[in-house]
Amino acid sequence: MSDNHEAPRNDPPEGGLPAGIFGQGSPTFLTTKLDFVVNWARRNSLWPMPFGTACCAIEMMASAASTHDLARFGMERMSFSPRQADVLICAGRVPYKLAPVLRRIWDQMPQPKWSVSMGACASSGGVFDVYSMVQGIDTIIPVDVYVPGCPPRPEALIYGLMMIQEKIRGETLALHGELRREPPEDAGRPNADAVTVEALSLPFGNSTNQNRASGLIHPIPQERPGDRIP
Amino acid sequence: MTEEKTEDGPGLKGEIALPEEEDVLAPVVPGGLDQAHPSVPALRERFPDAFLRHEVTGGDEHVVFVAPDRTFEILQWLKEDADHFYNFLSDVTAVDYGGGRPLQLVYQLYSIPHRRALRLKAELPLSELEADSVVPLWQAANWLEREVWDMFGIRFRNHPDPRRILMPEHYAEGHPLRKDFPLRGRFSRAEQTRRALSQEVEDYYVPSELGPGREPQLVRWRELSGAPKATAKPDVDPTPEDGGGS
Repeated sequence: MSDNHEAPRNDPPEGGLPAGIFGQGSPTFLTTKLDFVVNWARRNSLWPMPFGTACCAIEMMASAASTHDLARFGMERMSFSPRQADVLICAGRVPYKLAPVLRRIWDQMPQPKWSVSMGACASSGGVFDVYSMVQGIDTIIPVDVYVPGCPPRPEALIYGLMMIQEKIRGETLALHGELRREPPEDAGRPNADAVTVEALSLPFGNSTNQNRASGLIHPIPQERPGDRIP
Repeated sequence: MTEEKTEDGPGLKGEIALPEEEDVLAPVVPGGLDQAHPSVPALRERFPDAFLRHEVTGGDEHVVFVAPDRTFEILQWLKEDADHFYNFLSDVTAVDYGGGRPLQLVYQLYSIPHRRALRLKAELPLSELEADSVVPLWQAANWLEREVWDMFGIRFRNHPDPRRILMPEHYAEGHPLRKDFPLRGRFSRAEQTRRALSQEVEDYYVPSELGPGREPQLVRWRELSGAPKATAKPDVDPTPEDGGGS
C-alpha cells in the first residue's frame, strides 16, 4: 500500500482486490519455487574474478569489451576482489609458484562459487609439460567448466559462462549444504589426492622420466627414489 | 616444379665453388683479429696468464675467455680503466653445453662512452661451480647472479642476497637449466603439487621484495605480521654428482 492516499487507483475498491502492476484487479503476488528465484538471481548476476596470467586473459578482456559485451549475461563487473566474486575465470598458464595464490583466491571466494578453466594451459598444462607448470588447475581447485582453445575466442568463453548459468539453473537449495560444503582443513590443500593428481598428469607424461620414447613410462604412479618430504 | 635456369647464374644443379665456412664468418681485419677490438689486445697484455683465448662470433661480437678465478679482477679493471670503461653490465648468464663440459659463465659488457660491447666468458668445471660476485662493481648484477644461481647452480662468493629468484625458495629439485635436469623435474607431479601448495605465498609478494636495492626483509615481515614460520625447511640442493648429460 502506498502512503500516497491521493492516488485513488492504489486504494482497494469496495470488496475488490488492490491494484497490481498489471492494472486493476491483478494480483500483487506470485507463486513460484524458491529454487527458481534464487537460481534466477544467481545466474544473472555472476561476477567474475579474473585470474589472467597469459594470452587467454587478452581474450577474456575482449569478452568484456563492447564487441562481445559480457555484461549482457550479468557479468556486469569484473570483481578484482575475491570476496565479492562468484565465478573464478582462470585464464592462462599457472606455474607451480603461482599455485598457492590461485588456491588462496579460491578459498577467499564466498559460497556459492563456480570456476572456469579457460584455455588449454589452465585445463591441462597445454604444451607446457615441464618442471614448472601445473598440469591442469583441477589439481589445485575444483573446476566447473573447461573452455578449450589456445586461446579460446570470446564466444567460447561466453559459451562456457552460459554453461555455468545452465548448471546453476539445475541446482537446488536442498543440496546446498552438501554441494557447497567447504571444510576449513581443505583450505590450501590440493584438490585431489596424490594418486588422482598423478592420474590427471599421466596422459601428458611422467615427471621423472625424460620422454615417452624412453619406454620407461609406467601406467600407474610409481614410488620414486627422488621423492622426499621437505 | 620445373627447373629454371637464370641467365646470370648457375642453375640449381650448377657447380658453385663455395668458399670455406671459416672464410665466410671471419671478419677481414687488417692486422689480425685482435686489432678489431681495442679491449682485446689490452686484456691480453694486462692479464697474460688469465687471458685464455679470444673468439669472434656473429661477425663482430668479441668473446674473451678468461681464467675463472680471475674474473673479478679483470672485470674491475675493464670497468674502471678509462680506455675501456665498461660501465654498463648488460647481462650475466651462463651456458651449459652438456656432456660433462664445463659451464660457461657469461658477462655481457657495454661501454656507454666508448660505444663498445665485449663478452667475457669463464669456463667453470662442474666440480667447482663458484665465481666471485660482481655486485660491488655493478648493482645490476644482484638479480642476474641470483638467476644464474637459481637456473644453473653457480654460487657467487660475497653475494649480498644469495637466494633463488625464479623458482620457489624451498625448491629442492635442482637447477632447471642444467642439461642433466629432467624436463619434467625430479619429483612426481603429486609431490610437486603438494610442495607448491605448502609454500608461503607472502614470501614472494611483499612490497619490500619488489623494490629495487632493498635489503631482504622476509624475517622481519614474518615477525610483524605474526605469520607462522615456514614449516618446509629448505633442502640441500640435490645437485647430481655426475655432471654428464641426461
